[in-house]
Amino acid sequence: MNCEASILLLSAFVLSFALAISLYTIGGRISPRSREERRRAGKTIPYACGEEPPPIKETRINCERFFIFAVFFMIFDVFAFMVAISYSAPAYLSVLYSLIAMMAVTLLIVRKA
Amino acid sequence: MKCRMMQNVLLMAFQLLIFPGLVFLILLAFIFEWIDRKVVARIQSRYGPLYTGASGILQPLADFIKLLSKEDLTPESADKLIFTLTPLLSLSLVLTALFLFPMASSHAIINFEGDLIFLMFILTLTVLNVALAGYGSASSYSVIGGVRSALQLIGYEIPLAISLVGPSLSVGSLSISKIVEWQASKGLWMILLQPLGFAVSMICLLAELEMIPFDIPEAETEIVAGWMTEFSGRKLALFRVSKDLKMLLTTALLASLYLGGAQQLGLAPPIIVFLAKTISMLLLMSLLRALFARFRIDQLVSGMWKYLIPLAILQVMLVCLGARG
Repeated sequence: MNCEASILLLSAFVLSFALAISLYTIGGRISPRSREERRRAGKTIPYACGEEPPPIKETRINCERFFIFAVFFMIFDVFAFMVAISYSAPAYLSVLYSLIAMMAVTLLIVRKA
Repeated sequence: MKCRMMQNVLLMAFQLLIFPGLVFLILLAFIFEWIDRKVVARIQSRYGPLYTGASGILQPLADFIKLLSKEDLTPESADKLIFTLTPLLSLSLVLTALFLFPMASSHAIINFEGDLIFLMFILTLTVLNVALAGYGSASSYSVIGGVRSALQLIGYEIPLAISLVGPSLSVGSLSISKIVEWQASKGLWMILLQPLGFAVSMICLLAELEMIPFDIPEAETEIVAGWMTEFSGRKLALFRVSKDLKMLLTTALLASLYLGGAQQLGLAPPIIVFLAKTISMLLLMSLLRALFARFRIDQLVSGMWKYLIPLAILQVMLVCLGARG
């Protein structure tokens, strides 16, 4: 990555962020202020159709059944990156590596199904 | 010498700010939202946007201005810093990624070896940003939406990454501009060489966009608006415009990697060709959005691992055998 590209990339990000901030400030100027009586009117409690919102600590999502997928996700992120930078390696090595990955996926599918 | 340098800097500033830059991209994003809404509405026998401008073409802009001028509420329980920063970040990340695509010529404004990896990194960051936004708003619906969006990432990130590697393996470079150039010089589109990879990345990008078969994180019939529930006013406006820009980003990605991107076709300048290709991809996405119904989250994750990842790996093996075997 050459110097010019990195300067451009940084300036592109800074410009985009500046645009986002300016839109945000313009929005703040033209929108009505939220005053104290509105706050007391219950506008700042989490949305729950006017009912008492369930306490946030009770909102638990069971992610356990996705655990095996998460482990495979970590391994295959490495696989994707290795394949991405493999264009100068001999073809049979990439194919062999892909075959091993394919076997791992087959194992996952057979085990889950 | 000094005059020349000044000219270069001015030209660069013009490119970054106006023409293939910020102003152009945001206007294009609004037009894309209009096309998407209009097409889906017509497929469902509705009219879609109608009154603002010619057949409602200014409606997305009007919506944006309306949202900007609405009251901006922050829930008491929310994490103030995260709640303010995530809308800003989501807009600026997607805009930065859009500079990597060649639009007005066969070279992008920012191109370096490995920008495809950088692009995947930004695509992942936007999803993490969404998960953070849901977590930071501290409402049950938002937290569920944020967790669902992170779980969805586990499903589609890998097939997307593997299938996007396909074109770069054929070309022998990880730069989007070089892939576009290669297709122009061979006179051959990547979709003809790697139809499997195209299909896989199309499906994964639908999930990335949270469009209908995969709109699990913002399923409005179950969890109100998912991770966006607590956002209002200017923050919601920023999220909406960044979603439109993401639509532009994904169609530009498909058009550049698989359809040849911005190349000179006959008399048509690259920008016209690029727009035609991206809009055709957008029409395909809108069609898919109108055709399907929502999947469940476990169906999505296991389905992606069952069908799309083997297909993507098969595509990579075929590329390795065909390109260098």
